[in-house]
Amino acid sequence: MRRFLVLWIKEEKALFSSPIAYVLIAGFLLIMGYSFTLALFISHAMTLVHLFFQMFVLFLLTVPIITMRLIAEERKLRTIELLLTSPVTETQVVLAKFAASMSLILLMLVQSGAYAIVLGIYGNPDWGPIFSGYLGLVLLAAALVGVGLLTSALTNNQIIAALLSLSTFLLLWIIDEYGYLLPDPFDSLVVNLSLSVHFKPFATGSMYFSDVAFYLSAAMLSLFLSVRALAWR
Amino acid sequence: MSVPIVVAQNLVKWYGPRLAVRDVSFSVAEGEVVGLLGPNGSGKSTIFRILTGYLVPSSGTVAVAGRDATTESLALRHEVGYVPEDAPLYDHMRVVEFLRFMAQLKGLFGRSAVRAVEAVVTRLQLEKVASLPIGKLSRGYRQRVAIGQALLNDPKLLILDEPTSGLDPSQVITIRDLIRELAGRQTVLIASHVLPEIERIASRVMILLDGRLLTDDALALETNGERLRLQVTGAEQEVRACIAAVPGVRSIVVESGSRGLDLRYLVEADRRPGMAQHLATALVGSGLALSELATMPPDLERVFLQLTRRPAEEAA
Repeated sequence: MRRFLVLWIKEEKALFSSPIAYVLIAGFLLIMGYSFTLALFISHAMTLVHLFFQMFVLFLLTVPIITMRLIAEERKLRTIELLLTSPVTETQVVLAKFAASMSLILLMLVQSGAYAIVLGIYGNPDWGPIFSGYLGLVLLAAALVGVGLLTSALTNNQIIAALLSLSTFLLLWIIDEYGYLLPDPFDSLVVNLSLSVHFKPFATGSMYFSDVAFYLSAAMLSLFLSVRALAWR
Repeated sequence: MSVPIVVAQNLVKWYGPRLAVRDVSFSVAEGEVVGLLGPNGSGKSTIFRILTGYLVPSSGTVAVAGRDATTESLALRHEVGYVPEDAPLYDHMRVVEFLRFMAQLKGLFGRSAVRAVEAVVTRLQLEKVASLPIGKLSRGYRQRVAIGQALLNDPKLLILDEPTSGLDPSQVITIRDLIRELAGRQTVLIASHVLPEIERIASRVMILLDGRLLTDDALALETNGERLRLQVTGAEQEVRACIAAVPGVRSIVVESGSRGLDLRYLVEADRRPGMAQHLATALVGSGLALSELATMPPDLERVFLQLTRRPAEEAA
């Protein structure tokens, strides 16, 4: 456990010592702030549903930037040799990188909580969909970071890692659009792989065990595969 | 022979269809400084990575300090300090920060981590650069930091992969002196493709070519015979005849650069007691003026060339 904490702190420092984290946070808050203000003034709706869908898309686009360097860079600079010839396990390395990436996303989400607070101060929003929306975003982020870590573990080229994860996310975003055209039972199989199909209920205030299980299992499977990819050498 | 720290048996490593290490067996005794010599791509780094638990051998076994590299990989890594080739380090970290991080990974926390870092900083003379980011260090200092992290938990075995590669001559001397100093305290395995480096540091030299271990003691091969240098004044033919008449003499070569009647000869002979005396007696007895007679150190370069040529000739 102590070694995991040491690795986690190292990852946090690496993440926040580069300007990428700050640019991402600033960009995220700028876009969200613009959308929130505009929506509030135009629709006067006491809801964050539209923001959740925007955050969903922003996560698809920004998570590859966060995860692309995690393992690919260590492989390229060969610092992975330093790590894995020390008495630490691949699982500890992968989980530390996962935790650090999630912390950045959670920081972005916490800051976006200011919009919910504004709604709470100046109106009477329905808090249920707000909480479920945030839970959905956290689960979505966990799955995306897991897949991003996996693609980073498969190559020592950061750009390739980013493109691989971005393509995967975009495919899993739109997969339901054409999935419905497939014959039974392939249609439901393909549609159930869709990130957006499982996210919609969270954003609109409904929570289903199947959606929680989808994101959690995607995160755990990709983390397991990342550990295997790191151990395969 | 004292207790072996490293025991490798029938190591084989395949990278896909490429065979990188072919049936390599050797052992290293406690306190030895062993050089692993071979051209680039001969399998030195692969063997080191297996010894550190980073790679798993395709077949064969390795144990370091009694820990099996495959089944007790984590325990084995406590016993090994490893300095990879080109010293890969975290450039964004400051030297002390990096050393503390590595100390914690090696299981040193709190005061013991602080003490270990301080000891390494002093031992490797890193005081001047302790608070600098690693990315701003010279290659020599980077190499010292890399060696420093390997020494933090006082491992039983220190593995150095091409530690002087890419350094300027003064940095090479510094690192070489440092390794010599370590040699008294630790068992050291050092890889290099630079013969003079290995010759100066190692007490035993293993030679590797195309993943095959050609010898696990090149210096012993060389010392089966003896090399002597003589400076003799006299006609070359007469001198040669006189030397050749001494029993046990294998070959006589005139050293390049010497001219005229005062020539220097390199003589290869069987290792026998009193060989130098026999030669001196023979030359002086023939009325030739002997002005120098010295025993030459083992010629690793010659052994290396002989051993590495042989497989090529066999293949041809």
